Amino acid sequence: MIKFNLNGKDVSVDADPLKSLVRVIREDLGMTGTKIGCAEGECGACTVLFEGKPVTSCTMNLIHAEGKEIKTVEWVAKSKLGEIIKTAFYEENAVQCGFCFPGFMVSTYYYISNGGTDDKESIKKAMSGNVCRCTGYEKIISAIQRACKDAGRGVK
Amino acid sequence: MSNSLVRVASLSDLFEKSGACQGSYYYLAGGTDLNVQINKQMIKDSTLFFIGNLSELKGIEVKNDELLIGAGASFGQIIDSKLVKANACLLSDALVNFASPLLQNTATIGGNIANGSPTADATPILLALDAQVEMVSAKGSRRVKLCDYFTGYKKSVLAKGEVIKALVIPIEKDKSSFYKKVSSRKSLTIAKVSLAAVYSKSGGKFDSLRIAVGSLNEYARRLPKVEKVLLSGGSDSEMKAALQKEITPITDLRSDADYRFDVTYNLIKALGE
Repeated sequence: MIKFNLNGKDVSVDADPLKSLVRVIREDLGMTGTKIGCAEGECGACTVLFEGKPVTSCTMNLIHAEGKEIKTVEWVAKSKLGEIIKTAFYEENAVQCGFCFPGFMVSTYYYISNGGTDDKESIKKAMSGNVCRCTGYEKIISAIQRACKDAGRGVK
Repeated sequence: MSNSLVRVASLSDLFEKSGACQGSYYYLAGGTDLNVQINKQMIKDSTLFFIGNLSELKGIEVKNDELLIGAGASFGQIIDSKLVKANACLLSDALVNFASPLLQNTATIGGNIANGSPTADATPILLALDAQVEMVSAKGSRRVKLCDYFTGYKKSVLAKGEVIKALVIPIEKDKSSFYKKVSSRKSLTIAKVSLAAVYSKSGGKFDSLRIAVGSLNEYARRLPKVEKVLLSGGSDSEMKAALQKEITPITDLRSDADYRFDVTYNLIKALGE
């Protein structure tokens, strides 16, 4: 039994400690917002906040979570900043198929809540671990710039 | 049989348990390399000792004019470290484009060296900084210069039962540095060529120089012959001849041998100018 905190709640999981963390989150804990894309740390669809920092949960194991705090896109989406990010992506038409979106949402949340600005180059660098294959990065970057401005103005 | 995980409470606990372990075993830290190998079944029927939480492997400190970076330090911690910035800024500056911010938060510097890939980003940088590898086992600890650490493709002097404890960088004042990773994109990419150098110059002439390259041989290495030519003020053609003796670039899916050679030659020329 491995215990950790997921989205503010203490959970315990009875699974192989080597099981991929993203699969534990999806299959054992039923949080399917976090996606599995490449499963080798390249695409960022599986991004979660681990002790407050964004990581690829597909390159981690259940054992890494023991005693730690993890927040998934489900938690981010319910936060005030999460609402701002969702609205900005919607307004800028930055979500086409939607598969990469949960990862972008978590990385954007981390970026803005750690003082990120609407500077395009800084956004590109912060998002370099998240890959989109259909919407296109211009719209995603515009959405993040919009979210930065809206968050600064306290827009909900 | 599949892989099994064993928790350890300390390094001495690790040595006891790994000493009693039958069959093949690995040390699992950040997991960014190992999990890919596990998923592809390149690692199977093995024991994985989880060392990701060992405080003995964490921490970055300065002691006796040396910067000690715990093997378990993540790239994110190294990039953000004020001690690294103040004493070996080449390392923190050069690693900014390592993989992606997501992987930087979990991948460890010890794992990057232990995995032993010829394209590992940290290796040429640490070689240029004249780093040593501190290894520890049940029998005690020892240090080996990183330039003597690798012995072949993914092979090293790290013995069974030994673990990398820290990377040790001598603190040098008044040195300049140079780093270039040539790859298809800026982030999340594997180097076609990477070159790091630490030097001092006066009147356009090198007083001291260390150059190291990655992705050009079966393991990353220093270029002592090229260094000698540049230190003695030799010509470009002498440098080229020395370089031909020291690197053996290959053609693979990422690049071809001629391109790799030409880029390396041009980078060294740029360094000399």
